[in-house]
Amino acid sequence: MTNFTLDSSPSVVLELTLRLKIRDVMTTELILAEKKDSLRHIQQLMKHNRITGVPIVEGKRLVGMVSVDDIIQALDGGYIDDPCDHHMSRQLIVLEDDMPLSLGISFFEKYHFGRFPVLNKDNELVGIVTSRDILTSLLMEMNKEMEHLEEKLAPQKEVPPECWSREFTLHKFDFEHAGSASGTIKKEIKDKGLDPKNLRRIAVASYEMEMNLIVHSLGGTLKVEHTPERTILEATDVGPGIEDVDKAMTEGWSTANDWIRSLGFGAGMGLPNIKRVSDEFFIQSQVGKGTLVRSIIYHPPEKEVTHEHS
Amino acid sequence: MNLSEVVAALGCQVLAGNSSLTQNVENVCACDLMSDVLVVEKDNLLLVTSLTTEQVVRTADIVGAHGILISNGKKPLEKTVQLAHQLNLPLLSTKLNTFEVCVELGKLLKK
Repeated sequence: MTNFTLDSSPSVVLELTLRLKIRDVMTTELILAEKKDSLRHIQQLMKHNRITGVPIVEGKRLVGMVSVDDIIQALDGGYIDDPCDHHMSRQLIVLEDDMPLSLGISFFEKYHFGRFPVLNKDNELVGIVTSRDILTSLLMEMNKEMEHLEEKLAPQKEVPPECWSREFTLHKFDFEHAGSASGTIKKEIKDKGLDPKNLRRIAVASYEMEMNLIVHSLGGTLKVEHTPERTILEATDVGPGIEDVDKAMTEGWSTANDWIRSLGFGAGMGLPNIKRVSDEFFIQSQVGKGTLVRSIIYHPPEKEVTHEHS
Repeated sequence: MNLSEVVAALGCQVLAGNSSLTQNVENVCACDLMSDVLVVEKDNLLLVTSLTTEQVVRTADIVGAHGILISNGKKPLEKTVQLAHQLNLPLLSTKLNTFEVCVELGKLLKK
């Protein structure tokens, strides 16, 4: 099997795997056994239920797993009638029910197990995930998503080749993909042929907006609308909102934590820098509701390139 | 000066962007705070940093820098190198610390 990573997947798929939680895809009807049960009993459970792994529990607590491999070894070693206690795997890799599906997919790639038990916050066994579960729920969700996208696409008018627009969905603390939206924006607009100075202003504004959404917001969208006359960038999020917008517009004022700073961000330069590179800048925020930041950059006819800074 | 001269003078290892080493460098920004790099408005820029995350490459790309030089002998993360490859952005690494890098680059720029 070739190695699979989600990195190069389309954003719709990435978003799906982040939005879906392990609890959305796991099986909750569990076939379980206890430590005192014999391996033969577990073999029968596997046969009747057509499964390849059985969690061993004490009450709601997971204490081990018995897989088909363990059964084959038991048959080979002649201890199939022993209680499973001494033969089950105790070193378990588990998933938590509120982890994003993307993590589950990476676990299958990383550990090569056929299934992962799922625990809740209280460390109780609540489900089990196989690659089949993931495949089924992903396909179902993709169907829904495609229908949704097709609806969206249908009424759109044809866009002239010199114009470009797109909307990116961004997630809180998704550092893995931080910068890919603005990277795309820069590349697409560069292909339209634009004065390099203005291209840099657009790139800087979109990157700062993208980092703000990832670092500070609970998630949101970055929208770009480019025509030969101007580029509009708009970042909208679903919270938490900025308490004091004037303070947030002050250079050096920041609410970022040490972790964000260790990545080279959170210097309190983001919003002022967006304003600096914009011809028009607008910010509106309400605590508990969200924040809207809009930046407009004009592209004057080539001969009279001037850069006004508001 | 161009990036090949920087590689030769500072004994750099070239991790990505081999084919773009002829690019000219007239300005240097030595900084570990990417927020500050985003404020720089200079052309033909070389970014010197001891930070090794993907965001270094993203930031350099956004401000249109011609190259990145990682100081202190730090080894960048594999994803960082991959992204630099993808963007064909020269990514250099040297054992010198940031101050020593700046001193050497200063000499080169005066030539």
